Amino acid sequence: MKVSKAKLAIAAGTALMIASLQPAFAAEQKTKPILGIPSSAVASFGGEYGVHNWVESLFYYIMLDNRINYIFKEFGNVERQIALNTQLEQMVLGAKVEYQGASMSAAHADLGITMTQFNAVVEAAYNACERNQIPYYSCNHLIAALAPFTRVIVTK
Amino acid sequence: MNRAHTNKWRGLRGVALLLAGLASGAAHADWYNNGKVLLTGGVFTVDGAGGGGAVPWATISGYETRDGINASAGFTYVNVPALQDSVFGVNIGFYDRLELSYASHKLSLNLSNLDTVALLLNTLGIGGGTDPWNSTLQMDVFGAKLRLFGDAVYTSDSWIPQVSIGGLYKKNHSEALVHTLGADKTKDWEAYIAATKIFFPISTLVNVAARYTAANEIGLTGFGSCDSRLLTQGDCDSKKEVRWEVSIAHLVAKNTAIGAEWQQHGNNLDGKSVKVAGLDLTSITDILGSIGLGGLSNTLQQKKEGDWYDIFMAYAPNKNISFVVAYLMLGNISVSQDNNGFYFSTHLTF
Ligand code: HEM
Repeated sequence: MKVSKAKLAIAAGTALMIASLQPAFAAEQKTKPILGIPSSAVASFGGEYGVHNWVESLFYYIMLDNRINYIFKEFGNVERQIALNTQLEQMVLGAKVEYQGASMSAAHADLGITMTQFNAVVEAAYNACERNQIPYYSCNHLIAALAPFTRVIVTK
Repeated sequence: MNRAHTNKWRGLRGVALLLAGLASGAAHADWYNNGKVLLTGGVFTVDGAGGGGAVPWATISGYETRDGINASAGFTYVNVPALQDSVFGVNIGFYDRLELSYASHKLSLNLSNLDTVALLLNTLGIGGGTDPWNSTLQMDVFGAKLRLFGDAVYTSDSWIPQVSIGGLYKKNHSEALVHTLGADKTKDWEAYIAATKIFFPISTLVNVAARYTAANEIGLTGFGSCDSRLLTQGDCDSKKEVRWEVSIAHLVAKNTAIGAEWQQHGNNLDGKSVKVAGLDLTSITDILGSIGLGGLSNTLQQKKEGDWYDIFMAYAPNKNISFVVAYLMLGNISVSQDNNGFYFSTHLTF
């Protein structure tokens, strides 16, 4: 258990290094959900400000969940992640916002994230939507836009 | 007698202990998992398999992800004019890959025409396959489902659904009544392939299944049919065919879905007369006629079995329990028409 955590730390560090070497733009692409995302999606979250509030709530719920909070405490940087997720979520919802972080595969590949942990983040996402009064249907647009990242984020 | 009784209790206690052990050990055991998102494992079908109410889905029942195992139990009550059915079942999902299930049906058939004849024949001293006012049927269903490929939930950028295949073995214990209704077999297997996908942008789950079967009313009234002459070998047929099934569930909130289902049924018993003591009614028309009941033989012609339709609402307040209420439109069942009625189901997940 100790060993694997140490390994993870090294791995995560490497991932960060790789991430910082990559050009700031084009690190992550917008996903292409089959039924599209309506152009009103960002607005239904309350614009950039609303998306930011949602991400803050998301991390609030993540840090309450014992199934996943330790991963973020150990390998994450919540402030940085809130800022980057605010960019990423706007981008996948269709706003002309530049995402400046690492690609999803680079950021998560070495964390050994399970499907159960991924689903825990999705549950936190729904809780954040509810708390921020974002309609369920709008929330599902964000889920649709982020879902394809499962392939690279869930590695276990 | 006394001894058998205590043994039975011991057995029950053993089961109870096992269940308690499962429940309490669950939180710590490595294999235990309940990591699926709410409602994404489907609910409890009348076949015991995970899915909607009647239609199996490609999802593996229970809340386990690929990381573990999860078990559940379900209870369903169906009430339409021709029948009241109680279904109890259990299923276990292994690593979101394999599902094993069992369901037991206890059904009372309310075919008033049939009751009249049974009463009459009892009075006349002719044994039939049915007692007046007490036509109960029992059926066991054993099932297995294997997920082949795809992810119903997260592959939102592709049209590829989650696809599973399944098999069911159904054993109807009410041989006499099944034959009275003109069916050939009381035991048979079915196979199905199901494709499921959640379309998040429209908050809707779509499932399509094709079932290879010879069932009459999912096997509750047997499989296949026999000609309406004497029940000799050779004039019976229980060839399977492919029938289609569709479920559509629209999520109105993360814990609430509304939707509809359609399940195609066959017409094995269409036009077949109810048979009593191995004879179809034409043979006893004389008797009926002589006591002024000639018209009954008409009403004992079975109708084309109706496809099943339902509209439902499913509510899952948490990952341990869900409730489904539905309005059923089951059409013709044997000699009874327009079977509309209610359905209640609960699915307990451990
Ligand atoms: C669709 C779901 C997810 C999205 C959109 C997402 C997004 C992000 C973003 C934007 C970053 C920052 C990358 C950077 O620093 O350049 C990040 C990092 C991170 N994510 Fe996620 N993430 C998701 C799922 C998860 C899950 C399920 C976990 C764990 C349970 C997780 C754990 C982490 C950790 C620990 C980091 C920090 C990595 C590091 O700084 O080395 N993420 N994620």
